[in-house]
Amino acid sequence: MKIKDAEIISLMQDPRTQEKGVRALMDAYQSRLYWHIRRIIVDGAIAQDALQETFIKAYQNFHQFKNDSQLYTWLYRIATNEALQQVNKMKKMQKSDEDPEYYMQNLVADNTEGNAEEIQILLQKAIQSLPEKQKLVFMMRYYDDLPYEEISKIVDMSVGTLKTNYHYAKQKIEEYIKENYER
Amino acid sequence: MKDFDLEKLERKNIYKIPENLFENIQGKVLGGFNDFDLEKLERKNIYRIPGNLFENIQENVLNNVLPAKKVPIFKLNWAYAAAASLALIFGVTFVLNNDDSKGKENSQETFAMNNQESKTESEIAYETLKSDLTSVENNNQTIENQNNKTSYVQDNSNGGEKMKSQTVKLVPKHNEAQMNEYLESFTNSEISELASNSTQDVYLDLYN
Repeated sequence: MKIKDAEIISLMQDPRTQEKGVRALMDAYQSRLYWHIRRIIVDGAIAQDALQETFIKAYQNFHQFKNDSQLYTWLYRIATNEALQQVNKMKKMQKSDEDPEYYMQNLVADNTEGNAEEIQILLQKAIQSLPEKQKLVFMMRYYDDLPYEEISKIVDMSVGTLKTNYHYAKQKIEEYIKENYER
Repeated sequence: MKDFDLEKLERKNIYKIPENLFENIQGKVLGGFNDFDLEKLERKNIYRIPGNLFENIQENVLNNVLPAKKVPIFKLNWAYAAAASLALIFGVTFVLNNDDSKGKENSQETFAMNNQESKTESEIAYETLKSDLTSVENNNQTIENQNNKTSYVQDNSNGGEKMKSQTVKLVPKHNEAQMNEYLESFTNSEISELASNSTQDVYLDLYN
């Protein structure tokens, strides 16, 4: 049975049921948040750490959650910040002469399943070629189907800017795939 | 065909080709991209994930957040705490008192047993003296000299000859009188016969 956000919030707010609340929160959102983080970070181990840190921060700062926003919006915001921090760390640790975009695209190739389709691999590489904001908007809209209004709360951008960013992101990705796809 | 000139021969492709060959080829090459629509592409997660990923994440998160949280969950109720303390005090007192009375009973039993034991030891001493009357001959071997001295008594209780060490305690006076009476019952000849063994006892005494 899928537990509702209101129930999770209620459990989390009562110290006696907080443990149950954390478990319910993780059960409900771990998969969505993991894949959101994983598409940004690509590396599996670092993505796992980032998700753990997301839940720990959510637990520790739950008193800051306001009921006027959706629970998943708040969680996506924490997860996105955590993922971007990890990516920045990764970029700082990489070799100085290596192109960050090239580095991320190689990471995609190293982390994909053996039976993954070429077009899907190309799509992930194309996403990694995007500027950060376009990348975030595209992933949240394309994969998670989040409304622009919610994405706006997560990344602190206006809905109009988000729509423009999504349009450009999609255009760049299609061009990238047309250029690189080998039949 | 003596006048044949290859240069003058018309260049012709004589092989059969399917109709619209080149249109089809162009269609196959470009068609995929023209039809390509990102929105129609299946949303897939193509990255490898380890087994038990989410179980591990949940375990790590709970290990991290729960120990710190368990302390504030416990609310100390002073009334219950005071009641529990009183119950503990009374309980411990009751147990100790019980132990004391048992201890007294035990000590009484032990005392009785010790009495019995001392009596037995006295008897043993008496038996020893009785069986070894050479000690009478020796004037130096008074009862006081035997106090807490270790002597070797032949233990024949198990049939074997086993020497065991034991402490000879003070023989009570009534035993002494009993012994004197016993000695008086001996004839002079018996006493002289017993006196012949006195040398060995002196010898043993040197090593005691």
